[in-house]
Amino acid sequence: MTAQPNDASLATADEPATPSSRSESGPTGNVGRWDRLGSAALGGILLVRGLRKRSLGGAATALVGGALVSRGVRGHSHLYRRLGVNTAGNEYRDPEPRTDSATVERSITVGKPADELVSYWRDPEQLSRLVGHFADVTTWGKDRYNWRVYGPLGQTIEWDTQLVSDRPDTEQPDGDRSDATRSDDDLHWETIEDAPIPHDGTVEFRPAPGDRGTEVTLRVQYDPPGGALGTAVMRWLDVAPDVLVGTTLRRFKSLAETGEIPTLEANPSARGAGDLV
Amino acid sequence: MSMRALCWHDVNDLRVDDVPEPELVNPRDVVLRVTMTTACGSDLHFIDGYLPTMREGDVIGHEFMGEVAKVGRKVEGVEEGDRVVVPSFIGCGSCGYCQDDLWSLCDNTNPNAALQEPVLGDTTAGIYGYTHAFGGYAGSHAEYVRVPHADENCFHVPDELDDEQALFASDAWATGYMGADFCDIEEGDTVAVWGCGGVGLMAQQSAALMGAERVIGIDRFPERLRLAEREAGSETIDYTAVDSVVDALKATTGGRGPDACIDAVGMEAHGTGPAHAYDRAKQQLKLHTDRGEALRQAIVACRKGGTLSILGVYGLMDKFPLGIVMNKGLTVRTAQQHGQRYVPDLLEYAAEGEMDPSYLATHELELEESPRGYDLFKHKEDGCVRPVFVP
Repeated sequence: MTAQPNDASLATADEPATPSSRSESGPTGNVGRWDRLGSAALGGILLVRGLRKRSLGGAATALVGGALVSRGVRGHSHLYRRLGVNTAGNEYRDPEPRTDSATVERSITVGKPADELVSYWRDPEQLSRLVGHFADVTTWGKDRYNWRVYGPLGQTIEWDTQLVSDRPDTEQPDGDRSDATRSDDDLHWETIEDAPIPHDGTVEFRPAPGDRGTEVTLRVQYDPPGGALGTAVMRWLDVAPDVLVGTTLRRFKSLAETGEIPTLEANPSARGAGDLV
Repeated sequence: MSMRALCWHDVNDLRVDDVPEPELVNPRDVVLRVTMTTACGSDLHFIDGYLPTMREGDVIGHEFMGEVAKVGRKVEGVEEGDRVVVPSFIGCGSCGYCQDDLWSLCDNTNPNAALQEPVLGDTTAGIYGYTHAFGGYAGSHAEYVRVPHADENCFHVPDELDDEQALFASDAWATGYMGADFCDIEEGDTVAVWGCGGVGLMAQQSAALMGAERVIGIDRFPERLRLAEREAGSETIDYTAVDSVVDALKATTGGRGPDACIDAVGMEAHGTGPAHAYDRAKQQLKLHTDRGEALRQAIVACRKGGTLSILGVYGLMDKFPLGIVMNKGLTVRTAQQHGQRYVPDLLEYAAEGEMDPSYLATHELELEESPRGYDLFKHKEDGCVRPVFVP
């Protein structure tokens, strides 16, 4: 079961990551502010209690207390590091900012043959469902698509893409894929001029071993060109590109395998109806 | 339209609130009118603040049954008015894991997979009322609950069974049965089970049903030990009454140790001694890492080459004696429950009178009284094994 002993991952929904919140705990910090205050407070109590006792147990208590105070003050926990836990920032994978990376690539295995999967990425209606967690897609003319993304404060940004048949060689990762393994089903698109996030994307399909279906890789390159701006827009949208790409693939797999995408639409709680994050 | 539901507000703060009624959203959904729902020991992990990603106002509860009230347009084989029991983990029935009968590993039912993936490296199936990392679905301690992929998750309850006889097939019974199934029990086997709560008792009864020569239940609450003896026919060990559970097990098995050990306790295993106060303090500050007393005992007690079946729920346990597991050549088997694989068999056992888990339901309460029910359950007051709620 999952168990970061903190709710850092939950915080993503409510408190967007900002560079300032990250730097609070220092460059190697992995203990969040409340966690640090708590640590220091508990540590202080244990330290004082331990010192008062003047016994072996008391000394042990004081040592633990001292370690907690240090953890609270320095904002770094060796235990957390070993566990891969980070309560300081909102990145629940690791403390490195991920929005600066130029290429985001994720893969998923779908239990269907490739020829049943390609249309999900070409048909604007299906594509809109796949990316429905962040964008609407419509089509205008052959293989041309319009993407609309709604920002957190009601702003809209949009861009156009075009499917292109020949991928330039520059998109190939260093030699780990030869032309021989390229499938006819693979799709490649590019943004058309003046896109706020100039990028290009590739979906590759290759047979999985045995009867496991098809391995589908989604790769998005958005830097260069336009890297700084693209990164700024991503920050503004409060999205981590790798989560966006990963979630899109999961939604695609669910739709292809089950005919629906798991959802918390209209989900009841004392907060009201719906839990769309 | 609103309904009443038990909601989590904060650590140790549960309240019955008005919440919106669930709706049909996806084409294979049904909305179920809940007729009976029960507290599970794993709920205590987020009630006590051990599991993150709860949000204020979440409807909790994942072990339930009911009557189908609304049916999505693509549902087959389930109709309005059907009386069904539903496993706590949601399966899609289509992905490779569901097809391999590993339903709690379903790829397609956790809308919040992105919250789990960085920690687990993948995602589990979604579950009702059990943190946002585990799907965020509204739970069953409510008048109504939405059940996705209804054709895969609704199991018809034979008319002759009471709600109490079918309810626990939703989770406790299926989990305990799976734990015994993991042990590949052979003639002459001794199976030791840590924990005589709902899951532990079900594991003991299932092990006996599968032909174990001896079943030994371990707990500290006299009324639970009595239930293990009376209902499951187990021998018992009160761990507070012996110097060492491991020695006691060795002594009673000719020095070999049990052939299989089932951990039905999990991360809130009770410890004794000075570590306890520190654990409690850490829990309050969310700095807690798991205690694993039961699991450590099981590893040491188990015979060489034996099976360790882990049903207790763990977080990121940071200290695990892997060297002992390795040197003793133990086989570790574990999972969240694959309910859909077992429920049809369990309902048949109940209908044929071979097993009747209704004795777990020690307290029947109205939904409005469910916070008190959780209190009884958590503190094991008044002999409470499981409170069941009738919305």
